[in-house]
Amino acid sequence: MPKQSRKTNKAAIDVHHLSVSYGENKVLDNISFQIPVGNVAAIIGPNGSGKTTLLKAILGLIDVDQGSISVFGNKLKKQRDLIGYVPQKFEFDLNFPITVEEFMGLARKKNQPALVIEEKIKEVGLTPMILQKQLGELSGGQLQRILIAEALFNEPKILILDEPAAGIDIAGEKMFHDIIDHINKDHDTTVLIVSHDMAFVSKVVDQVICINKTLICSDAPKIAMTEKNLKKVFEDVNLSHHEH
Amino acid sequence: MQRAIIAGLILGILLASLGVIATLRKMSFFGEGVAHASLAGIAVAMLADVAPLPIAIIWSVLVALIIYWLERSTKLHSDTVIGILFTASMAFGVILMSQTAGYQPELISFLFGSILAIRSIDLYIIGGLALIIMLWFVPSIKQLTYLSLSEESATVSGIKTKTQTLLFYIALSIATVLGVKILGIILVSALLILPAATGRLLSKSFKSYFTVSIIISEITILLGLFLSYIKDLPSGASIVLVGTAFFLLASLLGKAKT
Repeated sequence: MPKQSRKTNKAAIDVHHLSVSYGENKVLDNISFQIPVGNVAAIIGPNGSGKTTLLKAILGLIDVDQGSISVFGNKLKKQRDLIGYVPQKFEFDLNFPITVEEFMGLARKKNQPALVIEEKIKEVGLTPMILQKQLGELSGGQLQRILIAEALFNEPKILILDEPAAGIDIAGEKMFHDIIDHINKDHDTTVLIVSHDMAFVSKVVDQVICINKTLICSDAPKIAMTEKNLKKVFEDVNLSHHEH
Repeated sequence: MQRAIIAGLILGILLASLGVIATLRKMSFFGEGVAHASLAGIAVAMLADVAPLPIAIIWSVLVALIIYWLERSTKLHSDTVIGILFTASMAFGVILMSQTAGYQPELISFLFGSILAIRSIDLYIIGGLALIIMLWFVPSIKQLTYLSLSEESATVSGIKTKTQTLLFYIALSIATVLGVKILGIILVSALLILPAATGRLLSKSFKSYFTVSIIISEITILLGLFLSYIKDLPSGASIVLVGTAFFLLASLLGKAKT
């Protein structure tokens, strides 16, 4: 019987009046929401709505204009070790000679045994045989799972994934959903995903955060994903595209 | 000749190792730029009648720091920034050189490299600085590779990506200038690129990539110096042509395998 994640009212991530600009262009405007411990949350929004910027701010990769982000009630800098991250784009030269084992070894800390690599590989549904393959030989789905396995090295309490299902086939998507479920329930890890996959968002996640520069909704899918909200999130950007 | 061989072997390990990361980061042009920019440092030293190598190193590190800063503070591409700085620095060097009267044999040896140019003091400088760079580089290889493949993931995993990148720029600029005496300003960057490119064609893992690149680099230097000695050819050009021959051979081998 699958375990249930320990959901509490305590916030794993607390974003408070966050604003971010790139030069003159305001990308996020006064965004506030909380993700309770144990939730699987998804950020949705059209292209250019600030989803990736929001993730980068939560990860501490960019400077913010205003507002604050706390992780488990503390400043982000102090809690970075608790976060695992799977980037959206992992663009590298496919001919670069590096095996999967060597690649995973890059993220392994000195105090972690070499066995941790095999452990994490199995956890994402791959066999250790893949370790001897070259990174450039992997399919999109395999690479995605390797990146997730790598992000699990530190036993993160929060796992952040930027559009992880992009470019994966249907079988791969099912596997991916199972992996997310396993990480959330068996490891008690709060998961935050940027996703375009509405079927995934409505079925799998506990919380939907809709943004389009400002926050439009942050609630359970049934409450948040109303026609009115979705129209507001996606139509405004279509209009702004027409203006260009 | 003995000093040139020792210096060459040290530089072979140093430049091939840094070259693996430099080619991964698409920084081949950086070595070229820094080497050319060092001409101004050499010119300053010659005008002031002091040893050129230390001044050229300081000058090149300054150029590397300015490149690092401009890349991050402007929206210009790296190759544009490097192109502007190296031509400006070289132009400054040419102006300074024009103020020095008569034939300048030392300048010619800096431009094209010479096995006779390695004095004992140069060997100590090359050996000492190469040791310092390798003491930092070897324990940092994993971090540098990780941040070269995915800077964001490396930052989240706790690697001090800005510091490591800056240190790599400094190390690369020093290593390049150290190679100027044997290979010359015009050709030194070949030793950053050629062994790494050849090693890449022959390797299937990262470990073998490093090992093969270093071995190719050492053989290239030894053969190049040998040819330079027996045929009385410029050392830099001899080394680069041997390295190019290895690269072409590896390309043919790679093609034959596919």
